[in-house]
Amino acid sequence: MNPLYLEVSVVVLGIVMLMAEAFSGAGSRRGIAGLGILGLLAVLAATFFVNPAAMDAAAPYARFYSADLLAIFLKQLSLLATIIFLVMALEYAPTVEANLPSERRGAGLGEFYTIPVFTCAGLMWMASAKDFVMIFVSLELVTISFYILVSYLRRNRDSLEAGTKYLVLGALSTGFLVYGITWIFGVTGHTNLPEIARALPTLDHAVAPALLFGFGLVLIALGFKIAAAPFQFWVPDVYQGAPTPVTAFLSTASKAAGFIVLLRVFQTFVIVPELQAKILPLVAVLAGATMVFGNLAAIPQSNLKRLLAYSSIGHAGYLLLGVASIGAPFAGIAILFYLGAYLLMTMLAFLVMIVVAKATGGDDISDFAGLGRRAPHLAFGMLLAMLSLAGLPLTAGFLGKLFIFECAFRQEHYLLVALGVVTVAAGFYYYLKVVRAMYWQQPADPGAPEIEVGGLAKITIATLCALIIWLGVYPAPLLALLR
Amino acid sequence: MPLLGDYLIVSGFLFAIGLAGVLLRRNLLIIFMGLELMLNAANLSLVAFARHGVTAFGAPDYNAQVLVFFIITVAAAEVAVGLAIIVALYRLRQTTHVEDLNRMKF
Repeated sequence: MNPLYLEVSVVVLGIVMLMAEAFSGAGSRRGIAGLGILGLLAVLAATFFVNPAAMDAAAPYARFYSADLLAIFLKQLSLLATIIFLVMALEYAPTVEANLPSERRGAGLGEFYTIPVFTCAGLMWMASAKDFVMIFVSLELVTISFYILVSYLRRNRDSLEAGTKYLVLGALSTGFLVYGITWIFGVTGHTNLPEIARALPTLDHAVAPALLFGFGLVLIALGFKIAAAPFQFWVPDVYQGAPTPVTAFLSTASKAAGFIVLLRVFQTFVIVPELQAKILPLVAVLAGATMVFGNLAAIPQSNLKRLLAYSSIGHAGYLLLGVASIGAPFAGIAILFYLGAYLLMTMLAFLVMIVVAKATGGDDISDFAGLGRRAPHLAFGMLLAMLSLAGLPLTAGFLGKLFIFECAFRQEHYLLVALGVVTVAAGFYYYLKVVRAMYWQQPADPGAPEIEVGGLAKITIATLCALIIWLGVYPAPLLALLR
Repeated sequence: MPLLGDYLIVSGFLFAIGLAGVLLRRNLLIIFMGLELMLNAANLSLVAFARHGVTAFGAPDYNAQVLVFFIITVAAAEVAVGLAIIVALYRLRQTTHVEDLNRMKF
């Protein structure tokens, strides 16, 4: 099957869902979400039968669309993240309804289930993009749909505030991106990454500053997307204010796609030894700063959403360390493995958080007090997510960090590896704060009723737990798939 | 006839004015105008580069000009969504000043 059909079918699915929304009366709109989950599962199954060789290499679209392993794996991650988003959104629906200025039941819910499907199509195109025009358009499809999703709760001050901040900073990074592309095009005469790679070694020395200027601007723009320090300042506010499923989606899928684009642009430029000497130290410094900032700033947080926002900055630091060690043959696989593991454990943490917040009415760490006795299964899910995020052995998070550190060690980034180990230790402190609240603190209201969990959410939590342990104990199948 | 450098200087000025507007002004609408100015700075330099970097066939490089059309379209979509968010914010808070967006603080 030609890989292009994947994106086309996701877009068609989104249009069908919009139509179903337009022609249905008042109701809970659960059917639309169900349709989305089924459709995306079908596309996810189809990704395993994609044959990149079916693409005509001489066709016009082959210039800007690639279907290599990297792209296919990221497409699968995006689809998985969107499916989990829809499961979360079903649990979160009462909050959305309460925060929309509408009298009719279910108004605005259908769009909340549909917009992520279009975001998913954008993420999938981003995974395949190898031309700056394509990168720009797919990135904007993702970003603009996220503007809507972040500010979706129109009666909620936090959500609108987060949406406005995300809008201004997202548009600012778009400005940097296009201006950077302009200069890269001006120097090399191409927007296509493989053609730029061919043109780079033939260039005159005099143009190097202009080229570095352009690359620097693109790096800043992508730094905003992946939340690398010092471009991370929007993250805590936006993550805390956005609807929780959107936060989960933003911190996993959007970040993964940003990393894939960064990897592709980086690999294009790093082949020239002269540029490599200037670019590699820059990325290494970014990685170190991001690891330290994310993990240290997370320590005093008392709101779990904000804590996970800082922790996601810390994880971006470890991923950047992988990008900085791209010379190691295993680095590409290590980054992809980390992205996958990070997606599973973050989604698990947010899903449990949504279910618990629905019952307790808040997402502070103190709201989780006594959860171990009140809902042992949910508490176990959260425990596993926290231990995996912290990087305890026998979980997927541990192996992800191990692979990245090994690659960095082979590339002789000794200082960064030491810094990474220290920040992991700091991470244990704040992740275990949540575990302590769940198992060692008394609940605020001992007589509270049992927490209700929807059937789909139950299945998803169980699957995510199983996947995290499986990847942590026996990662060989996934590694074989990535090789 | 103006040279490539003249266009690039003008576009650099536009970018700087836009960036300064985003960083210094406190009204969301003015900030938004600054953001659009930054995109238009990129458009101007793209067209200038395309016109002056003549290909082997003697025609301008149309790749960059296609990118300009995409940027114009995306900017329009961004404005549509952005203004809607600002209107929603105004309805809820009766303000468009960034100082008033201070509910979430470290």
